[in-house]
Amino acid sequence: MDDHKSEDQHLVAAAQHILKALAASKAVSDDLRKTLLDFDIHLSAMSIVERSIKQLERKIKFAEGKIMTWKAKNSMIWDCGSKESSEYLEAVSEIQAAVHNLQSLNEHDKELLGRANGILQVAMAKLEEELVHILVKHKQYLEPESFANEAGSVDLVNPALIPDLKSIANVMFGSKYHQEFCQTFISSRRDALDEFFVVLEIERFSNENVMKMEGNCLNREIKKWIRAVKIVFQVYLVAEKRLCKQILGDFNDSVYQFCFAEITLSFVLKLLNFGEAVAMGNRSPEKLFCFLDIYEVLENLAVYVDILFFEEFGSFVRDEFHKLLNKFGEASKFTFLAFKNAIANDPSKARFPGGGVHHLTKYVMNFIKTLAEYGEALNLLLADETPADPEGNDDDDSHPLAGEFWSVAATLESNLISKSKLYKDVALQHVFMMNNIHYMVQKAKSSELSLVFGDRWLRRHVAKFRDNARSYERVTWGPILSILKQENAELNCTSSKENLKKKCKDFNASFSETYRSQTGWYIPDTELREDVQISISQKVVHAYRQFTGRYSSTIDEKWKKHTVDDIENYVLDLFVGSPKSLHYFSSSAQILKRDKSV
Amino acid sequence: MPATTENNHNQGSFLGRISIRRNQVMSMSMDGSHDTECEEMELFQRHVAERFAELLSCTDEPEAFMSIGWLRKLLDEFLCCEAEFKAVLLMGRDPFQIAKPPLDKLLPELLDRIIKSLDVCNAVSLGIDSLRNIQRLAEIVLSALDQTLIGDGQVRRAKKALSALLSAMLHEDKDGGITKGTERSRSFGRRGNKDKDRSAAAPFRSLSWTMPKNWSAAKQIHAMSSNLAAPRGNESSGLALPVFIMNTVLVFVLWTLVAALPCQERNGLGTHFQMPRNLSWAQPITALQERISEEWKKKEKKGTVGLLEEMQKMEKIAQWLLDFADSFQFPAEADKLEEVKAQVEELADICRKMEEGLEPLQLQIREVFHRVVRTRTEFLHVLDQAAKLNIPAS
Repeated sequence: MDDHKSEDQHLVAAAQHILKALAASKAVSDDLRKTLLDFDIHLSAMSIVERSIKQLERKIKFAEGKIMTWKAKNSMIWDCGSKESSEYLEAVSEIQAAVHNLQSLNEHDKELLGRANGILQVAMAKLEEELVHILVKHKQYLEPESFANEAGSVDLVNPALIPDLKSIANVMFGSKYHQEFCQTFISSRRDALDEFFVVLEIERFSNENVMKMEGNCLNREIKKWIRAVKIVFQVYLVAEKRLCKQILGDFNDSVYQFCFAEITLSFVLKLLNFGEAVAMGNRSPEKLFCFLDIYEVLENLAVYVDILFFEEFGSFVRDEFHKLLNKFGEASKFTFLAFKNAIANDPSKARFPGGGVHHLTKYVMNFIKTLAEYGEALNLLLADETPADPEGNDDDDSHPLAGEFWSVAATLESNLISKSKLYKDVALQHVFMMNNIHYMVQKAKSSELSLVFGDRWLRRHVAKFRDNARSYERVTWGPILSILKQENAELNCTSSKENLKKKCKDFNASFSETYRSQTGWYIPDTELREDVQISISQKVVHAYRQFTGRYSSTIDEKWKKHTVDDIENYVLDLFVGSPKSLHYFSSSAQILKRDKSV
Repeated sequence: MPATTENNHNQGSFLGRISIRRNQVMSMSMDGSHDTECEEMELFQRHVAERFAELLSCTDEPEAFMSIGWLRKLLDEFLCCEAEFKAVLLMGRDPFQIAKPPLDKLLPELLDRIIKSLDVCNAVSLGIDSLRNIQRLAEIVLSALDQTLIGDGQVRRAKKALSALLSAMLHEDKDGGITKGTERSRSFGRRGNKDKDRSAAAPFRSLSWTMPKNWSAAKQIHAMSSNLAAPRGNESSGLALPVFIMNTVLVFVLWTLVAALPCQERNGLGTHFQMPRNLSWAQPITALQERISEEWKKKEKKGTVGLLEEMQKMEKIAQWLLDFADSFQFPAEADKLEEVKAQVEELADICRKMEEGLEPLQLQIREVFHRVVRTRTEFLHVLDQAAKLNIPAS
């Protein structure tokens, strides 16, 4: 080859010599002279090109040596130190430049260009391998616990290697092998992301599986998922995007954005799919906290997602995320509504024994107590739909959730009133309502709920249960008290003795009956019970004392079954929930009390 | 089934929506509203038949049979059917009608099928990911060969990409199909990294987090098509029929998607489900199904990437180009280069179609996903209402 070339060069030199000589000759016309000189210039250019090509050939040969040597080896260049790697990259740059120069020269030496391209391809293939090797070897594994609290400053690849990765990128992009670079890079990073799934202990579930999961199993998976979602969006993907930018940021922005999107899209969708399946689950009230948990988390993450995926490439992911967020919002709203309906429709079929606090009341109040912890999320969801309070508790200072919670309480009360109507005894109806409203007030006073319900509601409902207490007294003890009352006109009536006897008899019977039934009634709250008992005592004992005292001369001891102290004590048996009855023996004032168990 | 007077006064019903068509006949007699219902169902059947007949007759670009464009059209038609189905069943209708036999059993079955279909949607969506990967590999081939001067370097570059591409096409059912660039390598475990395996025989490492391990698209479709029985006798004129039609359409569309696109575990897909015979609305669908089945049988023996037209074409081109690459010696003959140019142009065309069509297709599948979920929620809601109305007032 060289001989051939130097033969050519001699020919050219000889031709130029002849041309110059001819042009100098006077025998030549001006036109011809011009042509000859043009030709000479052309041949000069050729020899420059020849010289350049010779130069290039030398460089190519030198670089080829380096590149082919490495092709034959099994080891990795980047394992052998920075001298080797920079020399290699230099060699590649040489080839790259050679290709570029050869292409721009008018005279295409096709063979040489082909050879250079061939060598370039070998180098690119090797660099691809090196790229994978570096990415895998210097991957940094993350323990979820370690970055639970800190965001953003995590390195997914050993930062020391970033310059090397950049160099490889530059060289491959410069050689127009950017597609291979991106393809390889994206694949490797996708693998890393998949491995992270394993670290997060997230399993693959089909939608069917998720829908069939119940209770503890589902809760466990949801918990894992929530944890995963937080780490992924707040830490991992932020770091991934930064990595892409570090390595590919020198090129057009769309490059690193594209790579980031390709790496993460599929993964994020798979992650969100679990959420989709959960959102489709049944909407029983118990699920409300689960839905709100997830809603809150997603709501907080939305801003991270929007930033990570704000480019065109990421719009699909962003949309899907927001769709999922909305689904949980809908599910929460719907389930809350279902909760309210469940209260309203709670069947009232059997009388609740003893008139105590119904389990519906306990369930509802405890439910909304937990619900108050989701204040912010609920607020967002229910803001437009808060009903106006029928009782006019509204206030400018009301807690934003007040309306909803008052509404729930009102629904509960309504249902309780229906339940109270099952009792035949009106007094028991009042006791029942008193107990339940009292319980509601007690719960509403607790820290989270008191802020929501507000003072006015509390005062109103305290008044309500006190009202019920008074009504109870009136219904039960009113008649009894009127027995003991004596009209002035009858004071000196001759039939007063019979009258008094009847009164005593009536009193004993009524009291006994009341005692019999109302010892079985139940006021769970001890303070409330005492209050009621004291109130009864004050009225009844006082009246009885007055009655027996005033007519002590007329009243036969036989008629009087109880002493004042006895009455006082009997009152303390009321509402304890263990039914008792008073038994009378005909002889003297011996009283036997026998417990009757229900 | 004669309509009751309740149907005429639906303002108070739970849905609170008044069908305009019903309004028109409210002044008519009871029989009149019955006719409207029949009319609606007739229309529904006819529309279904028309839509699928159109799909059957699609032969030209860009909606050639089983191309990306055709699949997009298929999904469009599906969404139309679904919307009409919902209107027929829900609009202006008393919840009771949905909850009583035979719908009390048929509807929950449909809703169950919907849940199954979601997994299929997800699997197919993952399949589109692997198609995108194949597209990128094809684009490398284009970069390599779309040149005036083709030398050893370009050919080797193309060959690398072509091998990876063809492997991806042939393996993806089992392995999830995503290759690492044009390099086959793997990392082992979390902490160690052994050297990557450069041998050509190295199996592709699967995308580990695809569908659940034992999930199979074919089995899922089979499960969905079991119990799919046409309503008989009295039932065939009532609401059971649109439900059956919707079920059939749903299963058919998903089956087609699975046949066209890469999807986890499709063995046995060819054993197709029984299509109803002698039903006028079903004829186009049956014809389509037979055609697809035949294609599937042909390809199944070769073990390929699915029936997507673009993939079929690409496979041929890739194989041709690989053969060319294997036998290449610089410099190539002019007429050979002309042939290469033609193949490369066709490949470029396919890549362009994929670039334009894959993402919209994926979006559409996602749209289908969301729509059927919403439909299911709506139906559950209505059934719930009906159940509540059954409880005597407390």
